Amino acid sequence: MPVDIPKDKWPGAVRTITLGATPAEGGTRARTVTVGGEKALPYMHFEAEMPYRPVIALEIKDRRPDDWSPLLLEEWGEAASDPASWAKAAEAAGADLLVLALSLTGADGQPTTPAAAVAAAKAVLAASGLPLIVFGPGQAEADNTLLLAVAEATKGERLALGICEDKNYRTIVAAALANDHLVTARTPMDVNLAKQLNILISDMGLPLDRILMDPTTGALGYGIEYGYSVMERLRLAALQGDAMTQFPMIVTPGFEAWKAKEAKVGQGVPAEWGNWRERAITWETLTAVTLLESGADIVVLRHPESVRRVRAAIDDLMTAPVTA
Amino acid sequence: MYIIGENIHIISQRVKDALAAKDARFFQELAVQQVEAGAQALDLNLGPRKKDGTEVFPWIVETVEAVVDVPLSFDSTNLEGIEAGLKKVTKAQPIINSTSAEEERLEKVPLVAKRYNTRLIALTMGKSGIPVSADERVNIALEKLIPRALEIDFPISDLIIDPLVLTVSGCQEYCPELIEAIRTLQFAWDPPPPISVGLSNVSNAVPRENRPLINRVYCVMLMGVGLKMMIADPLDEALKEAIRIVEQRDASTPVGRLYLTLHDRVAAGEELTVDDVDMSDPEQVAIWKTVQILLNKVIYADSYLQQATTA
Repeated sequence: MPVDIPKDKWPGAVRTITLGATPAEGGTRARTVTVGGEKALPYMHFEAEMPYRPVIALEIKDRRPDDWSPLLLEEWGEAASDPASWAKAAEAAGADLLVLALSLTGADGQPTTPAAAVAAAKAVLAASGLPLIVFGPGQAEADNTLLLAVAEATKGERLALGICEDKNYRTIVAAALANDHLVTARTPMDVNLAKQLNILISDMGLPLDRILMDPTTGALGYGIEYGYSVMERLRLAALQGDAMTQFPMIVTPGFEAWKAKEAKVGQGVPAEWGNWRERAITWETLTAVTLLESGADIVVLRHPESVRRVRAAIDDLMTAPVTA
Repeated sequence: MYIIGENIHIISQRVKDALAAKDARFFQELAVQQVEAGAQALDLNLGPRKKDGTEVFPWIVETVEAVVDVPLSFDSTNLEGIEAGLKKVTKAQPIINSTSAEEERLEKVPLVAKRYNTRLIALTMGKSGIPVSADERVNIALEKLIPRALEIDFPISDLIIDPLVLTVSGCQEYCPELIEAIRTLQFAWDPPPPISVGLSNVSNAVPRENRPLINRVYCVMLMGVGLKMMIADPLDEALKEAIRIVEQRDASTPVGRLYLTLHDRVAAGEELTVDDVDMSDPEQVAIWKTVQILLNKVIYADSYLQQATTA
């Protein structure tokens, strides 16, 4: 019996957004990355072609992190002690773009200075031609000071600057506006707050093709279903035509998964949990793939093996025939 | 529209302070003010008062009944305190607000209501919380609340079903379902049980300046499905004007005509369309946008009125 598959035709679409600028475009990137443009729910190729593949970013730090899993530090080795080397290693590991996460303090325990943040960002840009996202340490004052300096020193590169939050977005948006960068808008798993922050940012005059949104997600086993629902709801609203939700979504499964016990802890766990490294990578990969299926456009990972596995999953998801 | 005045509510700092100081005059003024503004009953929400309920509830009854004659609604979970208050009532038939379908509450509270011949607000909420879907809420009324009233021979005309308004800011998916719950509840019994809601809950957590608009647009929509009683702010003149327009079918202003169209569309199970709205009139545009968030068509955001319409 022939089965008629019902097809949705949506009035709205996600905005297409390009990160990075080549020399011809006023930057120094070897290539750019474009995301978004979806006209249907994720991977429903029979409804509408997905014009751009989701992409994988690898997260690196401005200095050797104190709070990362030994599994990650072991994997990255000496590269993790120097942002330029780490950027090269991450590019070699197959990242489509890089996230440079600035630390709150330097190795000496003193607050990270704007000069140090700029030096790290410049070193990364010099070492790798990939587009770059720069996250502040996550404290309003430090984020503003450091990101403003980085934005000015890298004018024209079309970086994405994060994190804009409802209590702290004006300085970062202004820095992005003045220096031809993008921003990422982060809200704590809440559709109303996500939309509100997008409205506030766009009210400042930042063009809508320069906003990414990070709805935050939780990890597998730690509330990911809430994150999934929020992303699904935002994407449905975007497809229904709500302009203030039509932004590509960036999510951080690396950060989320590596703080889950299953990934973080190697000792004192049941034997049937199996090999620690394998488990941790599985946790990161499954968190990422789940989020891809709920509409993520950019997944930020930490382990190179997870990059390989998530890329394989994206390849599979994208190869279903388009019959729209 | 029968309005149970909501303003004696412990969430207000002024009420909290006045209660701590046992400032009788404050409560008497607030009571008179609400009744003069049209409230036909007064809700008294002083919190659970676990420690001093048996003293505070009688005090508030005597205080308020000294100046007004309307029914008093005891809005508390403290049954002992409520009983102490009920013993002091000398004027109109009071209301207990509320019981839920949760076993223990449903066992005890209706018996107190019967003993003191009060009306009883019954929430369509069981032990697992408030269901989203209209049908599930109606089922709670049909399977739990009404049967319990019948069981103890409590008059259904005194059983006021409250299908629960939740805020558009955070529980948006509940908003359209509540409309349908009210529509269906009227077929739950013959004659239909009285129905009441706490209107202002729809705008909890919404910035203060947007609350009245959301409240009155929702009110018009709920009137469309037959709502005739609610706990609300009787001092909100714009709300009362919207109610008047609907009740008197006053089509003399453009906004009034829009309210009537909205009311009639909801009554007919239809939706307001862009063609019903004069988009050059900012007041009508604001109503249109508010309808869209209340029907969960557009995701609510605090700045939803600033967002360009995408019809």
